[in-house]
Amino acid sequence: MTRINQPHPVLRVDNLCVEFATTAGQIRAVDQLSFSVEAGQTLGIVGESGCGKSVTSLAIMGLLPKPAGRIVDGSVLLDGQELTRLPEGRLRQLRGAELSMIFQEPMTALNPVYSIARQMTAVLKRHQQLSARQARHRAIEMLARVGIPRPDQRIDDYPHQLSGGMRQRVMIAMALSCQPKLLIADEPTTALDVTTQAQVLRQMVDLQQELGTAVILITHDLGVIAETCDQAVVMYCGSKVEQAPVADLFLQPRHPYTAGLMQSIPRIREHKLDRLPVIEGQVPNLAALPPGCRFAGRCPNREDRCVQQQPPLTERGAQQFACFNPWNGPVES
Amino acid sequence: MELLSYVIRKLIGGIPLILGVTLISFVLMVYFGPDKTFELLSKNPTEAEIAQVRAQLGYDRPFLVRYAEYLKEMATLDFGFSDSTGERVSSILSRTIPVSLALLAPGFVLGNLLGIVLGLVAAWYRGGWVDKLIMGGAVVGMSISFLVVIVAFQALFGVVLGWFPVRGWNVHDLPSYAYYVTVPTLASVFVALGYNTRFFRAVLVEEINRDHVRTARAFGARPAEILFRNVLMNAMIPIVTRILFSIPLIVVSGSLLIESYFGIPGIGKVTFDAITSGDQPILKAVVGLTAVLFVLILIVTDILYRVVDPRVSLTGDAR
Repeated sequence: MTRINQPHPVLRVDNLCVEFATTAGQIRAVDQLSFSVEAGQTLGIVGESGCGKSVTSLAIMGLLPKPAGRIVDGSVLLDGQELTRLPEGRLRQLRGAELSMIFQEPMTALNPVYSIARQMTAVLKRHQQLSARQARHRAIEMLARVGIPRPDQRIDDYPHQLSGGMRQRVMIAMALSCQPKLLIADEPTTALDVTTQAQVLRQMVDLQQELGTAVILITHDLGVIAETCDQAVVMYCGSKVEQAPVADLFLQPRHPYTAGLMQSIPRIREHKLDRLPVIEGQVPNLAALPPGCRFAGRCPNREDRCVQQQPPLTERGAQQFACFNPWNGPVES
Repeated sequence: MELLSYVIRKLIGGIPLILGVTLISFVLMVYFGPDKTFELLSKNPTEAEIAQVRAQLGYDRPFLVRYAEYLKEMATLDFGFSDSTGERVSSILSRTIPVSLALLAPGFVLGNLLGIVLGLVAAWYRGGWVDKLIMGGAVVGMSISFLVVIVAFQALFGVVLGWFPVRGWNVHDLPSYAYYVTVPTLASVFVALGYNTRFFRAVLVEEINRDHVRTARAFGARPAEILFRNVLMNAMIPIVTRILFSIPLIVVSGSLLIESYFGIPGIGKVTFDAITSGDQPILKAVVGLTAVLFVLILIVTDILYRVVDPRVSLTGDAR
C-alpha cells in the first residue's frame, strides 16, 4: 500500500475497518481507509450520504455506537499514540482536550438548559485544571476569537438565544478552547445559510491556522473543500477512491466518481443545460457489495476487470486513486 | 421580580378556577350529597317538622346564599363542626393533615427518587440485560394490586418477622416515627416504583439520543455528568409535571387506602369516614382544600418549569 508520507502527521489512520452489526448481518461501513493529517493542515473528506465519512470520524473519536459499531482492523495514531486500543477512561481524557469534534446541527448540539458559559467552562475545567474565573476568562477570549460580538455578555446567553451561525461559532470556540491537536468538523456548515457558511468557515480556518490545529473537514460540498482544504479524500461506499492535493483534484480528477461529482456541481455555463449532469445508477447496498470495484455499476469507464477485481490504490505524483482506467478528460461537461 | 409578578398573576388567575371547582363540587354535594333531615326526625314526621328541621340545617335557603357561605368558610378556613363527632372541622384537619403528610412523604420521595435512579440506569444500558432486569421488575411491581401488597407486607413485617406494627400510629419521636412509618412506606414505594420507573425511563431514553448528549461525549464528559446534566436536566419538564400532579392523587386516594389498612388517624381516614357517615362539613372542607391544592400545584409547576428550563418565559412573550 502506498501513502503520501509526511514527516510528522498529527493523525495517522491506517487500514481502518469499521463494521456494524445489523439485522442484515455484519456490514462494513469503512473499509481499509488510510490517511494522515499534519499540524495546521486541513484534510477534506468528501462523499455522498452513507459513504462512511461520519463513521470514520466517530471511529477516530472512539464514539461509535455501542455495541453495534466496532473497529475490526487498522490503527488510529494520534501523535504516535494508538487510540483504538485505549481504554474508555483514557480516551475520555483525550476527547475535547487532544481531539475535538464539531457536528452538523448547531441548533441541537448544545445543551439547551445550560448557559454557554457553563458549557464552555465545564470543558476547560475538565481538561485544563483552571479555576472558574480563569476558565470563564479563557472562554470569553475564545468566543472573541471566533468573531462573536460582545463575548463577555453573550457568554451568559443560553443556546436558544443565539442564531445557528452563532451557535456553530460557539461550538468551534469550545472545540478549540483546549487547543486540541486535531479537530474533526463533521459537516460544520451544512445547516447554515450560504453567507453564514462562508463566514463560519473562514473563522474556523483562521483560528486553526493560528493554533496550528490539524483539521479533518467532512463534507459533501466540493465548494467547501475547494475553499478550505489542503488535501482531499474522496470516499465511495466505505473506501477511499481518490486522494490528492485540492488543486490537483480539481484540475484533474482521476477517479471517474470524483469526475462525476465535479460534473454535477451546478455552475454558470456558457450554454444553458436542460438538466444538470448526474451520476447514473444507485450506490450499491453495503450488505451486498460487488466483488470488483464498488463504482463499476455506475462507471462510464468500466472494463471487464473492474467487475471482477478491486482496483488497488495507485499513486501518480501527489495523487492516489483506486481505478484501472482513470479519467483523463476535462471535467466540464 | 419577574417571578413575583408571575406568581401574583397566576394566583389571581387561579381564583376563577377555584370558584369553578368549588361550585361544581358544591352543586354535587347539595343535590346529590347526604341529606341529614330524616336522621334528625322521628318516625312519621309532619310537614311542619320537616320544614323546621330543614330550616335548622339551613337547607331551605337559596342556593347562592349557601354557596356564598361555603366560600366564606373556605376563606376563613372555618368549616363549622363535624356532624358525627361535634369537633371543630378546622381542629380535625390540623390534627390529621400533619399525620398524613408524615406518613406519605417518605414513600413519595423515595418512590420518585428510586424511580429516577432506576430509570437513568435502565436508559443508560437500554437494550442490555440491566435494562431488561429493571423493566421486568417494574412490570411485576405494577401487576400486583396495592391491597395485596399492603396485606403481604403487613403479614411479612408484622406477623412473620414481627419487626414492625401492623396497625396504629403512636408517634412522639424519631424512633417511634420510623417504627410506624416503615411498612406503609415500603408498601407505597413498592407499588409506585414500577409505574415511576417505566415513565422515567421512557422520558430519559428520549433525551439520551439527543445531539447534545453526543456533543458532551465528544468533549470528554463522564457518564455520570452526562446522565445528570444532559439527560436528567433536559427531561425535567415531564418529570416535574408527573411528580407534582401525583401529589393530589396521593393525598386523597393514597392516604385513604394506607390509613384505613394501617389504622392511622390521618386525613384519608377522616375523609373516608365522612363519606360513609355523610359528614358534610368535613367533606366540604376536604373537597375545597383539594381544589385549592390543585391550583397551587399548577402554579408551582409553572414556576418550576421556569427554573429547570431557561427557554420557558414567565412573561409570556417570546424572546
